[in-house]
Amino acid sequence: MTGNERRLLLRRMRTPAITFVVLLLLLCSNVVLGATLPFRGAYIVEAVITACMVLTVLLVSMEIVHEPPLIRLFSAVGFFWVTIMFGMTLVDYLSR
Amino acid sequence: MSPSDAVLRDPGTPRITIDRPADYLHAEHTLRSWFFTTDHKRIALLYLASITGFFVLGAVAAGLIRLSLLVPNGQIFTNDTYNKLFTMHGVIMIWFFLIPSIPATFGNFLIPLMIGAKDLAFPKLNLLSWYIFMGGSLFAVVVLIVGGVDTGWTFYAPFSTTYSNTYVIPALLGVIVVGFSSILTGLNFVVTIHKMRCPGMTWFRMPIFVWTHYAVSLIFLLGTPVITMALILLVMERAFHIGVFDPRLGGDPVLFEHLFWFYSHPAVYIMVLPGMGVITELVAAFSQKRVFGYKFVAYASIGLASITFLVWGHHMFVNGQSQLASTVFSFLSFAVAVPSAVKVYNWTATIHKGAIRLDTPMLYAMGYIGLFVLGGLTGLFLATLAVDAHLHDTYFVVAHFHYIMVGGTMLAFLGGLHYWWPKFTGRMYPEAWGRVGAFLIFIGFNVTFFPQFILGYLGMPRRYHEYPPEFQLLNVLSSAGSTILAVGYLFPMVYLIWSLWFGKRAPANPWQAKGLEWTTTSPPPPHNFLRTPVVDYEPYDYAIKAREVG
Amino acid sequence: MADAAGSVAEPVGLELAEQFSSKDQQREAATLGMWAWLLTELLLFAGLFLCALVLRILYPASVTLATTHLKFWIGATNTAVLICSSFTMSGAIVTSRLGFRRLMLGCMLATAGLGSIFLLLKGFEYYQDYNEHMMPFLNMPYLLEKDTSSRLFVDVYYVTTGLHGLHLITGVSILLWLTWQASQPRFLEFHQNRIEVYGLYWHFIDLIWIIVFPVLYVLNR
Repeated sequence: MTGNERRLLLRRMRTPAITFVVLLLLLCSNVVLGATLPFRGAYIVEAVITACMVLTVLLVSMEIVHEPPLIRLFSAVGFFWVTIMFGMTLVDYLSR
Repeated sequence: MSPSDAVLRDPGTPRITIDRPADYLHAEHTLRSWFFTTDHKRIALLYLASITGFFVLGAVAAGLIRLSLLVPNGQIFTNDTYNKLFTMHGVIMIWFFLIPSIPATFGNFLIPLMIGAKDLAFPKLNLLSWYIFMGGSLFAVVVLIVGGVDTGWTFYAPFSTTYSNTYVIPALLGVIVVGFSSILTGLNFVVTIHKMRCPGMTWFRMPIFVWTHYAVSLIFLLGTPVITMALILLVMERAFHIGVFDPRLGGDPVLFEHLFWFYSHPAVYIMVLPGMGVITELVAAFSQKRVFGYKFVAYASIGLASITFLVWGHHMFVNGQSQLASTVFSFLSFAVAVPSAVKVYNWTATIHKGAIRLDTPMLYAMGYIGLFVLGGLTGLFLATLAVDAHLHDTYFVVAHFHYIMVGGTMLAFLGGLHYWWPKFTGRMYPEAWGRVGAFLIFIGFNVTFFPQFILGYLGMPRRYHEYPPEFQLLNVLSSAGSTILAVGYLFPMVYLIWSLWFGKRAPANPWQAKGLEWTTTSPPPPHNFLRTPVVDYEPYDYAIKAREVG
Repeated sequence: MADAAGSVAEPVGLELAEQFSSKDQQREAATLGMWAWLLTELLLFAGLFLCALVLRILYPASVTLATTHLKFWIGATNTAVLICSSFTMSGAIVTSRLGFRRLMLGCMLATAGLGSIFLLLKGFEYYQDYNEHMMPFLNMPYLLEKDTSSRLFVDVYYVTTGLHGLHLITGVSILLWLTWQASQPRFLEFHQNRIEVYGLYWHFIDLIWIIVFPVLYVLNR
């Protein structure tokens, strides 16, 4: 591998490497919270951390930020539809 | 003179037959070339043959049901056999006939033609769809006929999971497999419509048929996985007693119903939307007039595909879901009627002051509009909480959905089949027989199903193989109607096959209709167009416009 | 092919399929097609997440009891394993774009290896569950029998992780087959976007597990 190629590779691998570290850190936070349960509302923080991990994978690893609007719309629609399914079912279960 | 007339008289089609390249039907003749084809047109015909076979099976089951209901004491078949018959009828007709009918036949054949593409985005995936469909459906049909399932097509827990002694798990596995065929077809259509349009074919120059199939494909993608999960959980429940749907273990049968109807309500719009696309094409062509309110109709299609996901609880008003949930679902069910109504008004306005020709496809389209309105309005009755408390699980519901599915979708299917038959096969069907068949079907259908509205209103429950003797007259009338309907169906089955050898050869555009599919030969060449079309005119640009007349 | 300066870069490109009119169209269609497929996979697992949520609403105490008997640390390790595999998959994509075939193959094999480690750990976890009588769907004594509703959540745990495991087995198999394809000469010249499209699928398997782990093992403690 030439010197140029090595530099190019390292430059291109920077984003995946940072993402990797960020995901592991977020995971560690969740694990620590789950193992120690320091306060009553810990699950809210855990849920937020999970959402951050999901967004990181979607936006960075799956490169949605670089994709055209159509792809972004498709990925958003999926989660939105899950919200519909959850929301309307919960209307039943939370009001029984 | 309209801008598209120049294209429709395009000299790209060589006049001399000897020089003409073989069309897709005659390019190759081997069995291998059919069963290993990746040509969307041949795959469409493979689907057409299979769904027709399933239709016949489902219709036989229906005939036996109507036979059984001739007598009130249910002595023609045993209770168990009757339950197996209506389950077979529902499963086959819904999953193996209606859902694939228009999308997998007409959609597959026409979408690439209508947008000026050579094929779908993923032709091999298209063939795989058909094989998955055949594998799952044949397996399920064998299970239904040889073994039998008595749960109804809705497979409600806990009967299906705990108390039924029939072949529930194999049937569920067959249906789960078939679901993947829908998902792959929907995926193919979505990508094709987004990415494969020819130069100049913008979204608002596409035929409404393509818009409705895009909407249907969204439903395929977003809804089908949820019922896949519901049925997987049902299999787990029956095999391993996991408990989520079993009240004895703390589970909730209504949870199954939420997961089931989240798909199955949009499924009825899968059955309705493509028919609406067909009707729009028929109405425009046989009034020789542009679609009134084209953009409204296009947006209404997407609107229907979206709002349909918000109303599933109206199947569960009396099943134990909360009052608040029922109210919310009822309100939204009224809302979902609006886009359908928009389309009906637009069809009517399109026909108004058009140059109307009452050929067979138009007869089916007119029948569709009337029967769909009746079916749709009765749906509103059922969306009303207090009324539904009385009508739920009665023949009123049965009549309502048959008006939409048979009076609606089936008529659209037959209308489209006649309209595009010249394009698919290169032959014309015999017009006089076509009209006789359409009338017989219309009359037979109404005699079969209108009495069922009355029966339901009077309180006759559905899925019962015996009933109070005072209902016998109406039941006999309904069964008599079903024989007329059966004869009506036989007409196209016979004369369409006859036309393959003896029908008049069809020109490229026998209906003087607009649309890219009519700019190529009948039947089309294997890659659809001799030259890639370029579009620079509006859709449906017939010479007559609403403003110009009168 | 190495030239005198030691370059490892190979030509990267795409072979135009019959139905498409341009390579860009083909690439975009493949990406859109994969996203449409991932949409369906999300909706599939969503049904299970809904079950978990409903059970939480109906039987909060039973769900907490069931969660605390799941193998938290194996689950956490597995999550880390999949995150590592996502990193190696990203490496495979980057190297495929640059034309570094051998590095790419290494990344793909590493990804498959990490996926297999996940499956091994999962199998070990199931084995431990079996030994501790945490399999209520078998006709065997069940550890938490006194709390009858707890078995519902435990059963949902099995269906969810089982389905995810099936996806992972399929994913690893396809990845190994793709690796074999990619080891043939001139693969990157004709089929580079297969790596990209497959990478989306692999990241999605990781994403689903990133949701599964908290939902089943963490949030309900």
